[in-house]
Amino acid sequence: MTELRFTEEQRDCLQELINVAMGLASDKLARYLNTFVHLQVPAIRLVDTEQLPEHFASRYEQQSVTMISLGFFGDQGLRGETIMLYQLANVDVIAKLLGYSNDDSSEAEMLTDISSVLTTTFLNGLAEQLENSFSYAAPRILSSRDQHFADKLASTAEQWQLALQVDIRYQLTDYSFNCDMILLIPGEAMMRLRLILDQFLASF
Amino acid sequence: MQLDWLVQPLLTQLNTGVLVLDAAHNIVYFNQFIARRADIQLSDVSGRLVYDIFADAPKAWLQRKIDGVLALQSPAFSSWEQRQYIIKLPHLRPVSSGSQHMAQNCSMLPFKAPNSAEQFVCLLIEDATDAYVYQQQLQHSMAQLELANRTDGLTGVFNRRHWQHELGQEIQRAKRYQHPLSLLLFDLDKFKQLNDQYGHQGGDAVLIELSGIIAALLRDTDVLGRYGGEEFGVILPETDMAGALLVANRICAAAAGHQMLFNGHYINATVSIGVSSFSGQTIDELIQQSDIALYNAKRQGRNQAVAWQQQPETYLKKVK
Repeated sequence: MTELRFTEEQRDCLQELINVAMGLASDKLARYLNTFVHLQVPAIRLVDTEQLPEHFASRYEQQSVTMISLGFFGDQGLRGETIMLYQLANVDVIAKLLGYSNDDSSEAEMLTDISSVLTTTFLNGLAEQLENSFSYAAPRILSSRDQHFADKLASTAEQWQLALQVDIRYQLTDYSFNCDMILLIPGEAMMRLRLILDQFLASF
Repeated sequence: MQLDWLVQPLLTQLNTGVLVLDAAHNIVYFNQFIARRADIQLSDVSGRLVYDIFADAPKAWLQRKIDGVLALQSPAFSSWEQRQYIIKLPHLRPVSSGSQHMAQNCSMLPFKAPNSAEQFVCLLIEDATDAYVYQQQLQHSMAQLELANRTDGLTGVFNRRHWQHELGQEIQRAKRYQHPLSLLLFDLDKFKQLNDQYGHQGGDAVLIELSGIIAALLRDTDVLGRYGGEEFGVILPETDMAGALLVANRICAAAAGHQMLFNGHYINATVSIGVSSFSGQTIDELIQQSDIALYNAKRQGRNQAVAWQQQPETYLKKVK
């Protein structure tokens, strides 16, 4: 079996690229959504896909969670899937954030909208850092109230070899909401990613 | 090889709507897919605001989406599952569709002109009517299956499994809110004789007709189910023993007073009813108490309702 782990240097490099991408995204989003929105620099972790469901099940214990998936493709075989996790209690806050009035859109539509805004803005930044560009599939709701999300996450994560966990936290003047983003990358794409990272490291 | 010539015929033939707007949301371009379905010509509407041409479009929502695409330079999406369509277009599925408008998946993509800072948004509109129709059919089938799954095939009242599930729920509710709850179990008197005399079809006809008559006597919140054979149960939420006995006596009277016509014969059928009230019992205990009361109703001459009472011997046992 191919060794899929990152070296420490590769990992640091990726972390740095993601930090920059997230910084770019934060800046764009804060300006787009509202000047009062403050986006904290997200915490990023490389995690084992096998541990993901367990980790998130305990994190969202006894809460209704919605999972929204968005696939992306780039050049040089880079591809993957992002999963956003939201607590349903946050939906009203998200609606305010996006400027929706109550009757305007369904819960599902608001969540897919915010997801595509958050993920594509971030991924565009990351693609830029990697001197690549991504195209996207439309976001899809993987689960909501009626289904246990950890099971669904387990079956989704199973297909992937690498997971990047990104915590996103918004703070607004009067309220805050946070959500999690998981970046899942398949094995071949990960090897590509390692090559790209090595090129980066060599040029420094 | 020069392939520029391909672009126009491709856009014309493409089975996807292409609609391009400038930064002020004015129409710049659309392909034949849209021109034919919306019956408009580009030369007539070029430069006009998209909301003026497609007056039915959800303006506030679409404005926000397009502004988002321009501001963030990242794509936005809309799925028929959340919003059936963005612009009203006819579809090419004349039969079997519940809707006359095309269900649409839409991607909104940012573009920048190569030699200027001018920005554009391209709306790609895909026809998802097939998926929409299949999902409608699936939902319809699911609803029918769900109904069949909780209905007794013969009488149309709830089947035992669903009825018992409902009883469990009602017990939980009564316990939590300290509300009264009563349970009737009733049984057709001398059903075996009916079957022997008129055949099983006669027996079935009686079951069907009586369950209809009894259902009509109940409130919307009462739950009638077929417990098995000729035995039925009624869950009476928010009802104490006195109220339950009133209902039970009404059922007895209605059954006894009703004549059924089957194959030229008038059939008279009566029912016996056992009544119990919830005071902390388990579901099995409650059913058992109604069952004992029903047995007593039979023993005391049928065609009557009897309330469950603590048996003297078990009462004595508890005192000891």
